[in-house]
Amino acid sequence: MTPELDTETRAAPNYDDQFDAIVVGAGLAGSAAALTMASRGLEVLIVERGSSPGAKNVFGGVLYTPTIRELTEFDDAPLERYVAERRFSMLSRDDETAVSLRPGEWHREPHNDSYTVLRGEFDEWFAEQAVEAGATLVTETTVTGLVRERGRIVGVETDRPDGTIRAPYVVLAEGGNSLVSEGANLKPTESRENVAVAVKEVLEFPDREGVIEDRFRLVDDAGVSYHYFGEGAVGDAFGGGFIYTNEETVSVGVAYRIEDAVAADQSPEETLNAFKTHPAVAPLVRDARTVEYSAKTIPEGGAESVPDLVHDGGVIVGDAAGLVLNNGVHLEGTNMAVESGYHAARAIARAADRGRTDAAALRAYPEALEQSFVVQNLERYAWLMDAVEADRDLLFEELPRAFADAGTEYFRMDRQPKEVHADDAKDVVLDALGGWTGAAKLALRYRKVVT
Amino acid sequence: MTWTIAVGVKQVPDADEVGIDPDTGRLDRASAPAVMNGPDRHALEAALTIRDQVGGEVIAMTMGPPNATSVLEEAVAMGSDDAVLISDRAFAGSDTWPTSLTLARAAEALEADVVVCGEETTDSSTGQVPPGIAAHNGWAQLTYAEAVDARPEEGRLAARRDVEGGYELVAAELPVVVAVAFGEFDPRPAPLHRKIYGENDFEPTVWDAEALGIEDEVGLDVSPTSVGRMETVDPVERKGEVVDEVDGLLEPIAEVRA
Ligand SMILES: Cc1cc2nc3c(=O)[nH]c(=O)nc-3n(C[C@H](O)[C@H](O)[C@H](O)COP(=O)(O)OP(=O)(O)OC[C@H]3O[C@@H](n4cnc5c(N)ncnc54)[C@H](O)[C@@H]3O)c2cc1C
Repeated sequence: MTPELDTETRAAPNYDDQFDAIVVGAGLAGSAAALTMASRGLEVLIVERGSSPGAKNVFGGVLYTPTIRELTEFDDAPLERYVAERRFSMLSRDDETAVSLRPGEWHREPHNDSYTVLRGEFDEWFAEQAVEAGATLVTETTVTGLVRERGRIVGVETDRPDGTIRAPYVVLAEGGNSLVSEGANLKPTESRENVAVAVKEVLEFPDREGVIEDRFRLVDDAGVSYHYFGEGAVGDAFGGGFIYTNEETVSVGVAYRIEDAVAADQSPEETLNAFKTHPAVAPLVRDARTVEYSAKTIPEGGAESVPDLVHDGGVIVGDAAGLVLNNGVHLEGTNMAVESGYHAARAIARAADRGRTDAAALRAYPEALEQSFVVQNLERYAWLMDAVEADRDLLFEELPRAFADAGTEYFRMDRQPKEVHADDAKDVVLDALGGWTGAAKLALRYRKVVT
Repeated sequence: MTWTIAVGVKQVPDADEVGIDPDTGRLDRASAPAVMNGPDRHALEAALTIRDQVGGEVIAMTMGPPNATSVLEEAVAMGSDDAVLISDRAFAGSDTWPTSLTLARAAEALEADVVVCGEETTDSSTGQVPPGIAAHNGWAQLTYAEAVDARPEEGRLAARRDVEGGYELVAAELPVVVAVAFGEFDPRPAPLHRKIYGENDFEPTVWDAEALGIEDEVGLDVSPTSVGRMETVDPVERKGEVVDEVDGLLEPIAEVRA
């Protein structure tokens, strides 16, 4: 008796128009869109260029999770630590002046929806949720262009043989380095002053139990998010540095404008090394071993550089759409990516019900986004980048130095009365600000950052 | 006439991810994800090349646990026409003897004209399975094949074989087992639609030991391998001499044999 092959085989499989939507990129925005569409019964294909979702994602990381929590069984998500402390620190060449926040509420569920994650693990998990909801994922496949018919987007081209595939809707979720959207003229190439370069290292501490808990004053799965500004963080470039604690590693990195990276004659690597050796930072990363190094760009054009979000047959979401808030106090892109993917998916599902693919039928997406925190936050801070750029020397060099000097004066221990020290401290700051008038103008200009 | 070309593929721990635990210095195999044995991709490419030359069908086969299906899906994505999973608890503990017997019986059942294998597996590196398949079936074998040339009109497959100091061209009668030299057949990328099909919609045929009639001939009990001890051996120094004339060959041979 000989066994037989009983497989049903297909000689020339073809999936053109077998899927309702193709999602380009399995990042946060892409997986949120795929999950939302699949849950609404659409057939979804996700195309990811990495060997797995997240494999190519550089992320310093605090993931903001109000929307993801709604979309998934969030308890199973691979999180590192919740953020229990935020610290904002101004660095001059060798001084540090810092403000730290540790509200009791952050220790309690849902931990203010702020968690450190490793994107390699998190993105894989999130994409898996979309697959479990019915989406199909292909990895190691790069989308190289869009297929268009009379202007309408009807599919994508990939780098594989027989690599063109058609579907009624395409969701562009390719992240900040959005070559497909740019190549298809759906958005202009971002100008240099609106792009930041970010480099990040993940550090581990071999043979040192509890070192992260001890150095950052943590218990259990509490973690920190430290932000640094000033010339001690990124030299004379416009940007900042960060340290985040993961479960057993820390992420340390810098992010600053590409324009400065070119002009200021320092490589991102050198900037990161200088930051790591700053006297206020070095003790936190002492005796560490680098396990991962990566670099990436962050769009930070704000509300003005958000392109048209809908086209006939296609939508743009997440970083590809420039939806990142980076204003010094807030660096948020993860929540916006998920929110935009979610709204875009809902708009597509509704358009599909009506059998329409035209841009007008997809307008519900930008409309929902405008009502959401995403566009509201971007607009609120739109003015900030320009203001900060104009005041760059003052904010990143003169003020950090003045605050450090003022502190030194205020607490000086000698035989002068305290009143003299206080006056000296005030003088240092007022000098830097250009007197009371300068201070008042500055306060007025920046009041909206925190109010 | 077209040929049936069977390819043996195996699931192994990803060699790139098999880390050395920095603290204990031990190989950490358990945490590495399972992937297709690297040399088997080259075997697949060789099989597809033969199919391009004569026409016919490429059928991937793997002996392994149910989750080894993923390497068959990958084979179908790359271009295999069909695939069979040979899976049975009875196989547990099998060494290269019952493994090659199993694959030999499967190749017979598939009525294979050619069986293509990788040179060796990255997780055990014996290189014994392809010759084992040939031996069990009494078929010809072409090992360390760097190039293949199907000659359907002669009923033979020719291969360029890598040998010390050069190569030889050998033609073998069908059926034949080919072990492909690693690195000589750059695997082709999976076409997009086949990749979607292979990974999502394709289901392989499953055979167990009984289907192949070998339920009493597999497993740990019939595996003759036993590792006594490990020893590092130095290669034996060999004398080499180039003679210009054929006539001059006799003398040095006589000298060595004396
Ligand atoms: C160093 C750094 C620190 C940051 N810190 C924070 C923070 O603390 N908090 C926060 O909220 N945000 C932070 N951000 C921003 C945040 O990472 C992004 O806003 C967010 O990842 C955007 O998600 P996305 O899905 O739009 O894009 P991405 O996460 O970039 O995902 C895009 C995906 O598409 C894939 N892809 C790209 N092109 C193609 C193609 N052609 N074909 C197929 N696949 C493709 C990529 O491989 C990737 O998987 C930080 C960013 C950086 C770089």
